[in-house]
Amino acid sequence: MTLLDKMTQQQRMLLAIVLSILFFVVYDFMLPKPKPLPVDANATAVTQSATTPAANSAPAAVSNAAPQAAAGSASAPVQTKAPAQTPAAESNTIAEVHTKDYHMYIDALGRVSKFEVLIEKFKTAEGKLPNLVSADAPVKPLEIRFSDPKLNNEAFKTEYTANQSKVVVSDKQTVLTLTQELSSLTVIKEIVVKPDGTYDVSVKLSNPSEYFISPGFRPDEQADMYTFKGVLIRKADGTIETIEDGKAQGNEVFMKANIIAASDRYFTNAFYDFQNGFDVYITKDAKEDPLAFVKGQQEMKLHVYSGAKDHEKLKSIDPRMTDIIEYGFFTFLAKPMFLILKAIYDFVGNWGWAIVITTILLRLVLFPLTYKGMVSMNRLKELSPKVKEIQKKYKGDPAKMNAKMMELYKKHNANPMGGCLPMLLQIPVFFAIYRVLLNAVELKHAPWIGWIHDLSAMDPYFILPVLMAGTMFWQQHITPNNITDPMQEKIMKFLPLIFMFFFVTFPAGLTLYWFVNNLFGVAQQYYVNSLFAKEKAAKKG
Amino acid sequence: MRKPFLALLTFYQKFLTVLGYGSCRYYPTCSEYAKWQFQKNNLFLALFHSTLRILRCNQLFPGGIDYPVVKMNLNFKRVCYHNANANKIIVQFWLVPKEGNSFYLIKTFKRK
Repeated sequence: MTLLDKMTQQQRMLLAIVLSILFFVVYDFMLPKPKPLPVDANATAVTQSATTPAANSAPAAVSNAAPQAAAGSASAPVQTKAPAQTPAAESNTIAEVHTKDYHMYIDALGRVSKFEVLIEKFKTAEGKLPNLVSADAPVKPLEIRFSDPKLNNEAFKTEYTANQSKVVVSDKQTVLTLTQELSSLTVIKEIVVKPDGTYDVSVKLSNPSEYFISPGFRPDEQADMYTFKGVLIRKADGTIETIEDGKAQGNEVFMKANIIAASDRYFTNAFYDFQNGFDVYITKDAKEDPLAFVKGQQEMKLHVYSGAKDHEKLKSIDPRMTDIIEYGFFTFLAKPMFLILKAIYDFVGNWGWAIVITTILLRLVLFPLTYKGMVSMNRLKELSPKVKEIQKKYKGDPAKMNAKMMELYKKHNANPMGGCLPMLLQIPVFFAIYRVLLNAVELKHAPWIGWIHDLSAMDPYFILPVLMAGTMFWQQHITPNNITDPMQEKIMKFLPLIFMFFFVTFPAGLTLYWFVNNLFGVAQQYYVNSLFAKEKAAKKG
Repeated sequence: MRKPFLALLTFYQKFLTVLGYGSCRYYPTCSEYAKWQFQKNNLFLALFHSTLRILRCNQLFPGGIDYPVVKMNLNFKRVCYHNANANKIIVQFWLVPKEGNSFYLIKTFKRK
């Protein structure tokens, strides 16, 4: 700590800036940078030049393809929608696919009508599995809509045939072929079921005709107001664009995108192609929810992933796929926070302990600061008669009292306050952990010890909020403050109580973080106190 | 333009400051410092100095008394007091010359 004492004001300033910038930036660098695509240079050029004409023609093209888009073409779209909802087509399953990861059911219109993911922790007590294609989804995965309204109409009335009704895949990929005979052309959809939990779909038309194929509507398993639900596009240049439910314009076009993912909190239905990319067209339904489509001409091949937004799983498909995991505004902090937690989790095997260890690590990073503060605080104890004098003299004039106190602190180079910067740094950390707990599927149903079976849900027995409030009070009790306004002092005394009720509904993992953070604050204080006492004893001896 | 910043700061002081339980190492506190800056300095400089102040507000710095420094052209008509009534001038801020047209900004303590 003598090093810190010897530093000049400027050096310290620099150190403080570097520390705080480090905090935000370094982790960002730790993230794997998106690899430049081989087609990137061309792709961006194409995007640039193609955007304008495409954007102009898009609404027309899309409105033909999608229902409810334009009032002018109402007759055709309404009809396209109608057959899609006839129970006959819905209930007619023409093919089933079973793998170790999912059960997929194809209906008579060649679409995925039901997609159950086999994730043990999401299985309900009755054995029900999460279904990523809800029965009332406005568009289903692999649904094809033609630009030509007549053709589209016919397509929604003509049933597909499948070359086999049941496909079971364990370790060898299998092809399921769906065929639709229309008056002017034949549609062949080949579904290549792969053992790794993904599948490919290739569409071939016997005659060229413009069409749109959808990755489906977002899953409706865990759709709530706290987390993102809607469509996410990873554009040609690797940047992410999100269109939230209820906020779709209905005419967004993204040329040469490489991911289109319709997601709820934990699950996604996604197309991806990092080699060639595809052109994404977004329309909207009556609720202004985005409906995603990829435009095709005659032949096209797409990779499909439907399932949980599991970091490891997505990374094994392609590291860029992890961009599908969306933490909202705080993604830039939440993502590194997740990676830190994940790294520790891989080591200790429990998310609760991973949170505890992360908290300790954060404390350690800030320890030089805290230590210096605490040492000077102890120096202050010798000043306490003077402090009392000032308090007495300027009672009822808080501003003046503060000024006098600060004068005293500066004179004796002892300042008991922690400072605004360490306090403000807590806020982003807090939000990052909060977002991770809300969004990361790995944290769902993740136990800690004993009574905590799900860190992402509230503590069912309110033990953690009570512990948190208790340690908060304790810490407050042993930490000096310069609040002189009696009203504020009262509020402060009640703060732990307010926080307790505030935290009751928060994810248990967040309360755990805050509790451990408080606990180490208290422990740190006592530790430094004892160090100081020893130092003093040594001096005397 | 300065109004939203001042409103935000006042809101922070009224309701949020207890969260940090008055942990500022300075007089005036960071929020008060920012308030003065936004009242008397140009917006850009105010933002700059307030940010630096928060960065300085940690245990690496001694803390203590640290008045804002503002740039001001005294010919400029924006005066540093407001007329309570025609005869009596109530001083809000003192400007202590630093160098050139930089001044330390010192607020008077409230009279009882």
